[in-house]
Amino acid sequence: MQKTLTRIHDLKLPTAILGACLLGDQNEMVAACMDGIYRVELATKAHRRVAEHESYVSSAVYLPESRVFVTGGYDGKLKWFSAQDNALIREQKVHSFWSWDLAASADGRWLASVTGQYLAGDYKYAPAKETEPSVRILDASDGRVVYSLPHTPSVQSVVFSHDSQWVAAGNLMGQVRVWEVASGVEVGGFETKDFTSWGIIKSHCYLGGIFAMEFTPDDQELIICGMGDMRDPMAGNGKQLWQRWNWKESKLVSQTLDKQSGEGLMEALCMHPAQDSFVMGGRLRGGDWNGALFDIASGERIGTIKSGYRITEFLFNERGELIVVGGQGQPGKNDQGKFSDFGRIEVYEIKS
Amino acid sequence: MVRREDCGSPEHQAHRRLFLQGSMAAGVASVASFNGLFSIPTLAQETKKRGKKCILLWLCGAPSQFETWDPKPGTITGGPFGSIATSLPGIRISSLMPRCATIMDKLGVIRSMSTEPSEHFQGIDVLTRGEAPRPPFTRPILGSVVAERLGQLDSPVPQFVLLDPCPEGNEFKSFKAGNWAGWLGAEYGPVRSGGEYAIADILRPESIDGLDHEDREALRSFLSRKYQNDQRSQAAAGYNAAFDRVRGLMSCAPLFDLETLPVADRDRYGPGAFAQHALQARHLIENGSTFVMVANGMPWDNHVFQHEMHQMLVPELDNVLFQLVMDLEQRGMLEDTLVIAMGEFGRTPWLNEARGRDHYSKAWSMAMAGGGIRGGVVVGKTDPMGFEVTENAIDNRRLFATIFTALGIDAKEQYDLPDLPTFHRVEGNVQPIDELLIG
Repeated sequence: MQKTLTRIHDLKLPTAILGACLLGDQNEMVAACMDGIYRVELATKAHRRVAEHESYVSSAVYLPESRVFVTGGYDGKLKWFSAQDNALIREQKVHSFWSWDLAASADGRWLASVTGQYLAGDYKYAPAKETEPSVRILDASDGRVVYSLPHTPSVQSVVFSHDSQWVAAGNLMGQVRVWEVASGVEVGGFETKDFTSWGIIKSHCYLGGIFAMEFTPDDQELIICGMGDMRDPMAGNGKQLWQRWNWKESKLVSQTLDKQSGEGLMEALCMHPAQDSFVMGGRLRGGDWNGALFDIASGERIGTIKSGYRITEFLFNERGELIVVGGQGQPGKNDQGKFSDFGRIEVYEIKS
Repeated sequence: MVRREDCGSPEHQAHRRLFLQGSMAAGVASVASFNGLFSIPTLAQETKKRGKKCILLWLCGAPSQFETWDPKPGTITGGPFGSIATSLPGIRISSLMPRCATIMDKLGVIRSMSTEPSEHFQGIDVLTRGEAPRPPFTRPILGSVVAERLGQLDSPVPQFVLLDPCPEGNEFKSFKAGNWAGWLGAEYGPVRSGGEYAIADILRPESIDGLDHEDREALRSFLSRKYQNDQRSQAAAGYNAAFDRVRGLMSCAPLFDLETLPVADRDRYGPGAFAQHALQARHLIENGSTFVMVANGMPWDNHVFQHEMHQMLVPELDNVLFQLVMDLEQRGMLEDTLVIAMGEFGRTPWLNEARGRDHYSKAWSMAMAGGGIRGGVVVGKTDPMGFEVTENAIDNRRLFATIFTALGIDAKEQYDLPDLPTFHRVEGNVQPIDELLIG
């Protein structure tokens, strides 16, 4: 059944939103931005910058049991804040390089942060081996690193299964590894070549990879997103792509259906609370949408958003009737010589 | 053909004379391999002796000044990478360049480049030739000028080499297909090698021994030159010139083989194609080439994935520049070898919605070392967000006047060629950047 997505709120922040989470009352969000951490009231559009990292803030997750939100940054740090008063509870350096992505397990016990700098590893620029563990699993309550797990840099996305039993991490080269959280043992994974481009035209190097992931409702499969192969990596014109993999059998199950995708990097993915659909979004390079709702059973596209800006984050409210979108507009100097606000937050209502 | 002036270095003249003598000696000895050629002590010594040379690290596509020489940490434009202190008090560069930070006292950096073209082809044209085009006349590229002024045309070692493994390259591909040597003539154009452009068929077949090969060449040369002289044939002359060049390439084939370079050196420079060819450039310069341009397609044109690409490209550049400068210094060659690292412009202060930075020519940076350039100098300034040059804007003409002056080439000299209108090596009577020049 097709859905209509109607924008009901929108506001701007000074810089791009790279990650976000909704807080307990679902009306307030924490936005991880290039210039710091913002608290945003969606209905009133009131927002304020409450903290910062030493570089871009890449992610934010909420731990409802403890009423704490945690942010990850390109300074390689994680920071714990009280959701009540934004007081800094703890900060911890977990990577030498960026925290590309941060995830919290559904039971609130674990955090996972992924890192990795892409450095030349051979004549044709295959990535060099990691110089630090690419995946850190932490105890969410005290920040203790429980497991340090290997991968090939750069590891750009991480997600826990719905039952908090598994954690998956995906990288530049389209390799996904899955570990059992309780033991830190690698239990599965797969490699897809479809999200990574090797520069034929302008440059000989690798670009792309997996930018977001979600487990299917039964946790037996993973949905991943990014951008299809590009002949000219600098064009950013790969196919808007998702794939669904059985991660235990390393088997491709399904992917973006024919004639349902345009061009552009997809970097946001979120499962609907009813677990019957998911939303994927990113940049519009070619085509007529840059955010779309997909039926999880058939893979059919059932609703679209054409935002006019890069989408970096999707969040559903608990009842699943709203989608909160975070993103980045095209920045530039305005007539007064000031840098115009280019962070975007919009709320869409989902109707059948 | 041109109003030829020497670079001013008597050592260069001696070098050239001795080199030619050595070449003839090598020919008499019927030495067909490069290594054999340089087993003659006088030739090897003199070839490696003084004489200005140049390595151009051509950062095609245009690197970001924010992630290299002019970081703006803590600003909206600054990007995610921090800055680090350098060996120059008060000067900070991108945290992606820790090695270069330790040798800033040997580098001359311009933070205030401000040029006109903001599209690649035009930018490449201006920043490799020094001047915007004036059709139908084609100004020679920097490497051709340096090869013509400072090189040894009769040397078996190519004087102008382009190392670029990428056969494609969009605008750079188009540029590569054009006329590089311009009005100087094709003999001053580059020999191209690297990766998929490895020079084919320059190894002598094993079935022909060295003596046999020389005998065959002597017979071919005698008959061909007799025909050329008897018939006054331009075609035969061109044919003979081409043969001489190929013969020279055959004699120095090992110079183009990365596998012959010490593993320790290759490891030190790093595994990527650009790094390996930078090492090869040093090797070529060390062994008689005058100008080597190292490129790798257009990897710096990061309209998408700016930070994801620069996190890899800048550390490679950082290490390559560090290794080159240190190697040249340790070999006593830095004083006479100019190393230039630049692209055709810079990148926008703002990040576009494709995670990229776009073209920006109003305010950008580049670096040089050795070969007459004073180290420890940072020229010019930009505003706190990097939008505008606020002090000492440098355009392509002043940059080229500085490069030519550092190399001992008269920047104001007029080309004197038949049917050529008035052209100067650098137009506009501009002054070089004095603070960057030694002496």
